[in-house]
Amino acid sequence: MIDVKDRELVFPGRILGDGGGRGGDSFIDGGHIVSSVDGMVRVKGNRVDVIPFRGGYAPKESDVVIGIILQVLRGSWLVDINSFSKAYMRGEEATRDALNSDLSRYFRVGDRISAKISEVNELKSSQLIRPWRLEDGIIIEVNPKKIPRVVGKKRSMLNMIREKTGCRIVVGQNGRIWLKGNNLETAIKAIRKIEREAQSRGLTNRVGEFLSNELQSR
Amino acid sequence: MKLEEHLRGDYIRNLVKEGKRLDNRGFDEYRELEIEPGYVGEKACGSAFVKLGDTKVLAGISMDVGEPYADSPGEGVLTTSTELRPIASPYFESGPPRQESIELARIVDRGIRESGAIPTEKLAIDDEKVWVVFIDIHVLDNCGNLIDASGIASIAALLDAKMPRFEDDAIIRGEWDGKLPIESTPIPCTVAKISDQLLLDPTQDEEYAMGARLTVATTDTINAMQKGGVGTLTEKDIDDAIELAFSRGSDIRKIVEG
Amino acid sequence: MKRDEGMKLLENGKRLDGRALDEIRDVKIEVGILKRAAGSAYLEWGNNKVLAGVYYPREMHPKFMRDPTKAVLRCTYNMAPFSVDDRKRPGPDRRSQEISKILSEALSSAVIIEDYPDAGIDVSVEILQADAGTRCAGLTAASVAIADAGIPMKDLVSSCAAGKIDGEIAVDLMKEEDNYGESDVPLAILPRKKEVVLLQMDGKLSREEFKRAYKLAFDGAMKVYEIQKAALLSSMNSVKGDGE
Repeated sequence: MIDVKDRELVFPGRILGDGGGRGGDSFIDGGHIVSSVDGMVRVKGNRVDVIPFRGGYAPKESDVVIGIILQVLRGSWLVDINSFSKAYMRGEEATRDALNSDLSRYFRVGDRISAKISEVNELKSSQLIRPWRLEDGIIIEVNPKKIPRVVGKKRSMLNMIREKTGCRIVVGQNGRIWLKGNNLETAIKAIRKIEREAQSRGLTNRVGEFLSNELQSR
Repeated sequence: MKLEEHLRGDYIRNLVKEGKRLDNRGFDEYRELEIEPGYVGEKACGSAFVKLGDTKVLAGISMDVGEPYADSPGEGVLTTSTELRPIASPYFESGPPRQESIELARIVDRGIRESGAIPTEKLAIDDEKVWVVFIDIHVLDNCGNLIDASGIASIAALLDAKMPRFEDDAIIRGEWDGKLPIESTPIPCTVAKISDQLLLDPTQDEEYAMGARLTVATTDTINAMQKGGVGTLTEKDIDDAIELAFSRGSDIRKIVEG
Repeated sequence: MKRDEGMKLLENGKRLDGRALDEIRDVKIEVGILKRAAGSAYLEWGNNKVLAGVYYPREMHPKFMRDPTKAVLRCTYNMAPFSVDDRKRPGPDRRSQEISKILSEALSSAVIIEDYPDAGIDVSVEILQADAGTRCAGLTAASVAIADAGIPMKDLVSSCAAGKIDGEIAVDLMKEEDNYGESDVPLAILPRKKEVVLLQMDGKLSREEFKRAYKLAFDGAMKVYEIQKAALLSSMNSVKGDGE
């Protein structure tokens, strides 16, 4: 039995039900499903999911993230991915003979990349693959929990911002967004607006109007 | 990270589920307690060496003349300090155990202070001068339950303490003027919660395996309590701990008072 | 502390500020008022003013304190020099070190620290104005700040103290009562399962008196819990709109 209504707001320790399916950000205690965070629940039949309002980034397999090279090691790189745990990337991602190469020829400390997480181990440290160098531009950080709204359903929101501003944008699931192009400030304003109003209805249309107005007044 | 926690923690938690302890004690049983008052009898006003199982603690009492606290004129002053000496544990030198040692001193201090064991009003010399009683706790071998060992050593040392002679505005070292007045014998009793059971007087290994910990210091009333550790207690746990503190506390009091 | 002759803390069952024995002071909580911290809360509890903030779990330093099975949560309780009548020397004294330790342990009992191996979680409690009961106020604010940050918890931590004044057990002592009172019992609970994560006591209480103090502090903490929930829900409501 699910004890909460769809879209109800919950807080840590709130009992959501006595059984049924559940997603992350909840746990089982004494036969109850309990929320572990602030958020909104979505109820579908006998399943309850907590959509958290806020939170840091916890690495997940197959996420695309934006990272910064922290250290060039022997045969691999150590990469910051805006999380409590570190990410590693094998030298083989850049060269076949990684152990005998100077890896700083490919990526140096401070270089910014987008990459995919191929594996997260039990200590939550992750392995990165398929790095892509992010040259120039700017990286902003937003609440990682709001990234799904920045991307939108079927990438609708992101594509709209790209089209209207003409910016190149790479969105990392870890809350980092890389932007490059002429209308960069406008794109950032739109993203901040999405972050602020993430929970409200009709957001895509409002952001569309906002972008049109901003770009016109230039 | 304390490796010992990971070496034996699970084993001890499972053992407790079967109703057993590594040293075959009952859950409500204290380790053997030995007290040697006057251990450093020449210089200190009072002292006591306590062995609680393998845990060894030496408490010393020093006295000096000083000013009373501004909010308590005409009352003597009590100061309790703990030193977790590196000799007592491999962890006492590597980490910053500051918070641990401060907490320990403050629990012991509260038990003694709040019980009124030291009649501070009798420790006034005149309006501006009072006796300052220092309890210094030296932890020498940490095999668990430092709180009880330190509390017992402290009250035993106080009971052993003599008043220094004070004449012509000066302390005459090496000469004494009767006993330090002590009016009650507060005893701390600590339990550790492991696998939903309360274990009295935990060993070091049991401390690694424990969740919450509760200390209750008693005389004929409760004088101090402190929950520590990461974990929770129920109301019943607290009731049971108080019951144990009164019943076992009175046994220990007999040993302390000799 | 000695009080003036004839000073009474209780008159016709009412306390100096007119409260009944089982009545807590007004508690107000604002969520998310700091920009830089991942989560924050400002709390007024009678004349106490407290600010709590938390940062996301991050790499633990110093390294030897890391634990590969869980995060290490460190709460720092700090009293501002101007928070009390006589200026407090800045920095940690023995009292605030002890309080930092027990607040860290209480919060570690609520936060799901196992989710963050090798990490450290830093929680700050700043006492801006003190009027007795600051550790309870700080802990209450800290748990709201952690919820605001979205760091997973088994439950909120709700706290309240009880004590003894003029021979009677009373909840939530204010400064004068704390100074001249006979005993103090701060308590913090996980309300859902009614479990205790912080308990201290000093003074002289019989077992019956302790039972009464425990009950008053517990009921007080449950009232504080309602205020915490309302504050979190209203902060979420203010950003929620009508959903999509």
